Amino acid sequence: MPLDDLNNKREVLCTNCLGKEFNGVWVLNDININLKKGEVHSIVGENGAGKSTCIKILSGVHSPSEGEIIFNGEKVTFNNVKDSEKSGIRTVHQEINLIPFFNVLENIFLGTEVEKKFIGINVLDREKMAEKARKVLKRLGVKIDLFEYIYKLDVSLQRIIQISKVLVHNPEVIIFDEPTTALAESERKRLLEIILDLKKQDLGIIFVSHNLEEVMQISDRITVFRDGGNMGTILKKDATIEKVVSKMIGHKSYSDFKRESLTGSGKNIFEVKNLSTNKLKNINFKVNEGEVIGIAGVMGAGKTEIAKAIFGLDSVESGEFYINSKEYTPNPSKSVDEGIALVPEERQEQGLVLNMDVKKNITLSYLEQWSRASVINLEQEKGIAKKMINHLKIKTTGPSQTVKFLSGGNQQKVVVGRWLTGNFSLGIFDEPTKGIDVKAKEDIYHQIDELAKKGKGILFMSSYLPELMIIADKIIVLRDGKIVDEFNPKNNTEKEIMIAMLGGDQK
Amino acid sequence: MNKETTSTIEWSDVLRRYGTVIGALLIFVIFSLTTDSFCTSRNLLMLLRQMSMLTIIAFGFTFVMAAGGFDMSIGNSAGLVSVIFAIVLMNTSNFWLSLLVALGVGLIVGLINAVLVAYIGLPDFIGTFAVGSIAYGVKMLVTKGNPVFFTSPPAVFTFIGQGYVGPIPFPVILMLIFLVITVFVLNRTKLGRRIYAIGGNTTASLYAGIKVKWYRMITFLLSGLSVSIAAVIMTSRLNSGQPLAGENFLLDVIAVVFLSTTMFGEGEPTARGSFVGALIISMLNNGLTMLNVPYYFQYITKGLVVISAVMLAVVLGQKLRVKF
Repeated sequence: MPLDDLNNKREVLCTNCLGKEFNGVWVLNDININLKKGEVHSIVGENGAGKSTCIKILSGVHSPSEGEIIFNGEKVTFNNVKDSEKSGIRTVHQEINLIPFFNVLENIFLGTEVEKKFIGINVLDREKMAEKARKVLKRLGVKIDLFEYIYKLDVSLQRIIQISKVLVHNPEVIIFDEPTTALAESERKRLLEIILDLKKQDLGIIFVSHNLEEVMQISDRITVFRDGGNMGTILKKDATIEKVVSKMIGHKSYSDFKRESLTGSGKNIFEVKNLSTNKLKNINFKVNEGEVIGIAGVMGAGKTEIAKAIFGLDSVESGEFYINSKEYTPNPSKSVDEGIALVPEERQEQGLVLNMDVKKNITLSYLEQWSRASVINLEQEKGIAKKMINHLKIKTTGPSQTVKFLSGGNQQKVVVGRWLTGNFSLGIFDEPTKGIDVKAKEDIYHQIDELAKKGKGILFMSSYLPELMIIADKIIVLRDGKIVDEFNPKNNTEKEIMIAMLGGDQK
Repeated sequence: MNKETTSTIEWSDVLRRYGTVIGALLIFVIFSLTTDSFCTSRNLLMLLRQMSMLTIIAFGFTFVMAAGGFDMSIGNSAGLVSVIFAIVLMNTSNFWLSLLVALGVGLIVGLINAVLVAYIGLPDFIGTFAVGSIAYGVKMLVTKGNPVFFTSPPAVFTFIGQGYVGPIPFPVILMLIFLVITVFVLNRTKLGRRIYAIGGNTTASLYAGIKVKWYRMITFLLSGLSVSIAAVIMTSRLNSGQPLAGENFLLDVIAVVFLSTTMFGEGEPTARGSFVGALIISMLNNGLTMLNVPYYFQYITKGLVVISAVMLAVVLGQKLRVKF
């Protein structure tokens, strides 16, 4: 799209020095973006760069701590989602929030049902709704039976219903948040065409995606976020994947952490062969003694699925698993017995029993060690908990404090501490530094380093590349459930790896 | 000023932790004042004997609920165990064989519950409710709804429900043994710890490598076992196998365990909490009967007591652990 063309278009939405603060931390700083009618404006950035916070401000979920939103030339304040929707901004969320056992029509008008009077009583006006829905579906160029149940439709059609649900309200701006997640290639294409079509109908479109190729395909302008700030807006004609990626990376050095341990003896600790599940395709890799293997990939690339498959939490279509050269069948309690430890991604949902105290959470997995004839030795238990609290510098009032009162970083340390009480061979850390402060992050890195020094094999899943660069001996890049490449962080640059993560090398 | 705020916080905390216990004391005092015979050693021993069956079943239920489960089959399975126990005893006159069969029946009911709920994954409420319904049908089928009487039951059988050790009724001793075991198992053993972990967060327990299904199964087996023992006591007390006896247990036990979760501010059922809960419900049964309150008012009162206890706990900011 030529520059002049864009200049001729009317601006519909713009932000003025937008900033957002949570608990004293500025997650968004000084954001200026503008959106024109008939434009696709993409926002890209790594996880935690501030994209979703920005979107949430525009859609009224959060109110900004600083700055203002200008809509159609007027300053607006959104106190809630309704306000934002009323002024004409609608969001197509990443999660498909439709009711499976309601039909298409019922879903499109969920919460905004059209009514008519029938003998003085309000009843649903099906004809009117059907008419409106048909109009919208025509605009999108799709034919769907309005009375089909949602669960019978495939994901791409469900997306289209989500878009229809937004379109019946005639918005001026639509925000698409990762709309192509979980779509196959042909469905992805179709969806992008629909978005381009909407653009031609003079809507302003904000497009957020991890997939840089599709961003390059459909955007008029691309804005890059990094560390909560706007790194600049690039016109499509000037943009290359290289250019965008180099704006995305290059963080302020956020950690002085250096690995002390060296790759160990080369003795194999863990191996997986031909692992396939409904999300993963043919995964093969090894972890050796003292090695930290990083698994990189954007959200939804399949990192967690690998962790779950190895530990036995997901069913596996095919695959062979070896720990210490012995084949095993993954099953949580057996995996623990075989020497696998898992620090899961969601510490509150998957890691901790929140209303139990620190010591009980710490001893949960290797309870046998402090038990004789099934009776727990409470003194010993308290002792080991105290030891872990000191060792990991967990900030708590003591072993008997309920774990829900701890901060995120300290909660994560409790989960890590649980595994440190036992003698595992393979430690799986799935996004272990998610949502915790820098100090706690470094503590976790040091723990992992120490574990590697002791000869354990470590699997470190993260969508945050900079941390993998400093902690991993090898980085395996995952995309759409497949291993696409393997890097050595000493010889390869962050940019190369990022491009592999975001799908730059495939056409 | 500062002092005052801390003292109010403490008060609400005391109320949250011990509200139900204070309630129990209050009920005790009220009945002692309003009736002549409530607070006599004779009545109190009788009260303890009456509550023994309820308490034993409630202990089994406490295990189930501590693991986040629910068991709707207890009332009907108590009746089923009672009639099968009575029939075997009537035909063989062998108490120990009959006892073994009774325990077996309870364990089988528990096992079926466990398979349906823990392994196949039916919702607790539906699975155990259906099993209870089947138990009801089976006991009616076996007895045609008629009680099973004995001509000359063995002495040990009569002793179980009606005997005394010194001044203490034997069922009370059984109940106290159960209390000690339940307190110990829930607080001091791996089993108890893992049961509470599963009830607290099933997913996290699975991620920690705990055999969730296995432990949930054990809770249902313990529930079945406690139902059998209570049913044997009941059969001895009634001197007959009564198909319809034991149906009240369900509502009373649910009340007991809910009271238990509100006690001591832990938001989860505990052994001592269930004991106090059973005491409250039994005092109400006993005292209201003594005051000649019709039985239907007793139900209304019990309902109100449960509502107030749970409400108090929720208002004071306690999260109750109930999953269905």
